[in-house]
Amino acid sequence: MRFLEWMCLVAIVLLVGPAVATPKGAAKTAGKKLTPKQILDYVDDLYRGESSYAKMSMKVVTEHWTREMRMEGWSEGKEKSMFRILAPKKEKGMATLKHGENIWNYLPKVKRVIKLPASMMGGSWMGSHLTNDDLVKESRMADDFDFENTFRGRRDGQEIIEITCIPKPKAAVVWGKVVLVVREGDYMPLKMLYYDEDLELARTMTFEDIKKLGGRTLPAVMKIVPADKPEELTEFRYEKVEFNIKLKKGLFSLRNLQR
Amino acid sequence: MNTFRIGWRNIWRNGKRTWITVVAIALNTAILIVSYALMQGMMVDMVDNATRMVVGDAQVHAPGYRLDQSMYKCIKEPEKIVDAARKAGIQAAARSYGFGLISSGSKSAGGIFWGVDPAAEQKSFELSKHMLIGEYLSAEPGKNVVLGQKLAKSLHADVGSEIVAVVQAADGSLGNELFTVCGILKVAGEKIDRGGAIIHRADFEELFVSGGRVHEIALNAWGKLSAEEVAGVASVAAGDDEVKTWKQLMPLLFEMVKMFDVAIFIFGLVFFLAAGLGVMNTMLMATYERIREFGIQKAMGSTPWRIMKDVSIEAFVMAVFSTLIGAAIGVAAGLYFQEYGINLEAMARETITFSGIAFDPLWRATLSGKIVMLPVFVMWIICVVAALYPAGKAARLNPVRAMTHV
Amino acid sequence: MQLIKLAWRSIWRNRRRTIITLVSMVLGLVIAVFFIAFGEGVYSKMTDSAVRMLGGHVTLEHPEYREAPAVDMVVGDLFEIRRRIEELPEVERTKVLVLGQGVAKSGGGTVGVAVMGVEPSAEKGSSPMHEKIIAGDYLEDTDKRKVIIGSQLAKQLKLGKQKDAIKLANQLKPWIEYSKIPFEKMVEDVRMRLAVGKKMVIASTNVRGDMVEELLRVKGVFCVGAAEIDGYMIQVPVDTARELYGIEANQATQLGVVVRDPDTQGRVLAKVRQMAGREKVSVLPWDEVMPDLAAYIEVDGGSNYVFQGILIFLIMFVIFNTLLMSVLERRREFAVLLALGTPPGKLRLQIVVETVFIGLIGCALGLLAGWGVTYPLSIGGIDISGMYEEGVSISGYAIDPIVHPLVDWKLFAWLGGLVFAATMLLSLYPMRKATQIEVADLLRGGR
Repeated sequence: MRFLEWMCLVAIVLLVGPAVATPKGAAKTAGKKLTPKQILDYVDDLYRGESSYAKMSMKVVTEHWTREMRMEGWSEGKEKSMFRILAPKKEKGMATLKHGENIWNYLPKVKRVIKLPASMMGGSWMGSHLTNDDLVKESRMADDFDFENTFRGRRDGQEIIEITCIPKPKAAVVWGKVVLVVREGDYMPLKMLYYDEDLELARTMTFEDIKKLGGRTLPAVMKIVPADKPEELTEFRYEKVEFNIKLKKGLFSLRNLQR
Repeated sequence: MNTFRIGWRNIWRNGKRTWITVVAIALNTAILIVSYALMQGMMVDMVDNATRMVVGDAQVHAPGYRLDQSMYKCIKEPEKIVDAARKAGIQAAARSYGFGLISSGSKSAGGIFWGVDPAAEQKSFELSKHMLIGEYLSAEPGKNVVLGQKLAKSLHADVGSEIVAVVQAADGSLGNELFTVCGILKVAGEKIDRGGAIIHRADFEELFVSGGRVHEIALNAWGKLSAEEVAGVASVAAGDDEVKTWKQLMPLLFEMVKMFDVAIFIFGLVFFLAAGLGVMNTMLMATYERIREFGIQKAMGSTPWRIMKDVSIEAFVMAVFSTLIGAAIGVAAGLYFQEYGINLEAMARETITFSGIAFDPLWRATLSGKIVMLPVFVMWIICVVAALYPAGKAARLNPVRAMTHV
Repeated sequence: MQLIKLAWRSIWRNRRRTIITLVSMVLGLVIAVFFIAFGEGVYSKMTDSAVRMLGGHVTLEHPEYREAPAVDMVVGDLFEIRRRIEELPEVERTKVLVLGQGVAKSGGGTVGVAVMGVEPSAEKGSSPMHEKIIAGDYLEDTDKRKVIIGSQLAKQLKLGKQKDAIKLANQLKPWIEYSKIPFEKMVEDVRMRLAVGKKMVIASTNVRGDMVEELLRVKGVFCVGAAEIDGYMIQVPVDTARELYGIEANQATQLGVVVRDPDTQGRVLAKVRQMAGREKVSVLPWDEVMPDLAAYIEVDGGSNYVFQGILIFLIMFVIFNTLLMSVLERRREFAVLLALGTPPGKLRLQIVVETVFIGLIGCALGLLAGWGVTYPLSIGGIDISGMYEEGVSISGYAIDPIVHPLVDWKLFAWLGGLVFAATMLLSLYPMRKATQIEVADLLRGGR
């Protein structure tokens, strides 16, 4: 059962979206020795801000089709975010609004706003190789996982730190294990490996093209590859990111959604 | 021939006794035929309810589709299969399936879109007549949709409501479209009730950019061929695509039917026992009554063998005559119940579904040659055997004792 | 007195005729008893297992729950009312349910589900669900964060991988070939076993409207054979459900009352209603809680009644015929009696007394024999699956292949009464005939 592509939009909203009050790690990492917990928090907060704006493209490759989309989005705090598709033509103008636990979509072709049902909120993300857990979830890695530094040193020509996270017994996490690989020194994320309960690799998330965006250094490209279909791929590329900006009043409203 | 004539004359020598026996045999035969037809009808109804509604006698799918219902696992040459089926007198309906979101006002729910050819569906299946309110799709595409009952309820949708469909199309793009609800189905099984949204093939292709993909061909022979024969016809044209009969598609129902078969067998046995008992008793008494007569015959020089022969021929003639009457009554009543059925609706407040199968509260009988012949033959045997036992006893008796036998 | 003696002697004067008449009554009764008890057995089994699996014969719930089911529609102060209901002698047990909605998630998928919080020990006693477990085990009272799920849900969530199942089944191949189990079925079976122990997250909204998530582990997989249950329902210990939905320990969405004897349901309903009088709960019989099932059972029961009616008619007819024949056979005898000057009234009275004897003996023997045939079967049950040609195992499906005919003294009372009354009534016609004989003709003609 393939899922709806616009669910991906929600995904991105949330990737950019949920911001904690202060991105603790963001500015002060350079040169400091961080504990594994601090590294997890740092990666968690990397794309978060009190408010943000982003312009990005998404490419999805599946066995049957390949598509590319461009979109822009805004977020404020944990609660509110909004997205609008810029291209291609068929989807142009479609918009998604997340307010608290509610998600609405605007469809310009039929000029209707539809509300995403609760059962679909946690929908399966097969269409875009994403599961909802990494997206909808507002909790932090460090809260749900027990973690330890399992490797530090040179691998594939790069100095890296590997942190293995095992879900806490009671944490509502479907994975069996998550491995995070960051770059030694600036702690830039390189790779996240998700394992299922049998500790078989389920999918790989890779971070590439580290550069300065919106005043922060962060990977501009994120790729998700399912382990059982290595020829498939979902790729996000940030073109422009701004953090902690002043947003128009009424931006996150149903009225604005239909603009 | 002569012996039969004598037998015939003989049995009318005592009109009263004969009539009682004849009525007993005829009535029992008739009751057996009717109840047997009703039992059979119940079973046929059960299978028909399950297959004629939407599943059919057999279905064709791409290999693996039933496990993973992917838009891309489609039947290679659907037209060829449909043509082959129609040539063999089997009704066929091609369907496409796609998942999506259905929204109406502030409510929305996930559902399965069915792309159907309304004309073929109407000819092949009863679902199109199974409307709670409104009407089924018309033959021309018109952005209309028929919803399952629970889905309509959860969407608060009514006939005339507008619904928005949002789906991921086959080319990866996002399809969305406005539909008008033209009808809501009666309860028709969990899958349809909870998620079914039926639209015209042409609308489906537009919404899903599906490029004519067909995921299922449902075949219905309306009882003219067995499920296996239907599957046989389809497999010739299907190539690699898998053909399954309803028994394989709905194994649970098949188990239920088999169990029902056993129950009917037990029911039938009980009824035959009861009816057989009645006929046997009447026959026994009628023959015992005649022991005096046999004694006289024996005294006049008849051999025991001759008496036995006469009695069995008489019993047989009587049995044939009575069962003819009985079969006539039974067939008449059976035909009545086959046509008009017994309406159990008075006992139920709404459409009945069980294990996802919708039951028709009108219970019809099913008559067949076997159903008429079996009771008739059983009656013949019982009559002759029941007459032979006392006759044999009489034939062995000393004539004097037989004559004074009370 | 003399008449009675006369009648008694008279019926045994022609032993054969009497025995035939008795046999037709006895066998008729045996057949009727067996048939009705068998039918009632099937029918009550169906009702009973459904009623016990869900809300019990009588259900207590919030008055608004039926209209808009939600977890905040709870029955409060459970302990007190429960204690009082359990004191009723008719009540077998009570069961607490917390019914809610949720979304089940796993690494392989997300499915909307109905969550059923149950008390495992109470369920085991009242619901056949624990017999439908095909892999793993049923819940225990001490379980926390455990769940049992349906076979179809397990597949949808991809708990237990198809490829692992195939791999394992391949290893078992020699054995599979030996046991003649289809390979596909074996893979299915292995897959369900692999699902046991897997993680599943249930997400829902609690009574305060917050999104909540809870990690559960699959303890068992059931298959009851109905898609709406196997693909949609999950069971968790009631405390886990309470925790998830944020309701108090003395609250539940349903309190089900299971009665010992379904016939006392009405009485229990009235008593519980009286008890609940002041509280904010509604007390409903099961057919209002599950109208679909009630409708199905009514219709199915309807066809059963039609068959019962036909059968009883058949048996009545047999008895009538036998009586008619026996009177016909005795016309000579009656003619002699009348010719000897017996008043017709006395003769009629004698026939009545004879019929009473035959009716009583026939009914008594018939019911006794009916009991003798049916009672052992009602204990042991009739395994109708054994009658399949191929002997397919259908255990684990919605309908149990073992049918216990339901032996009920009420059945015996009304059936016996009916047959006796009918015998008396049916004897009226032949009796009238008997005394309207043209004596001279008959004696002369000899037939």
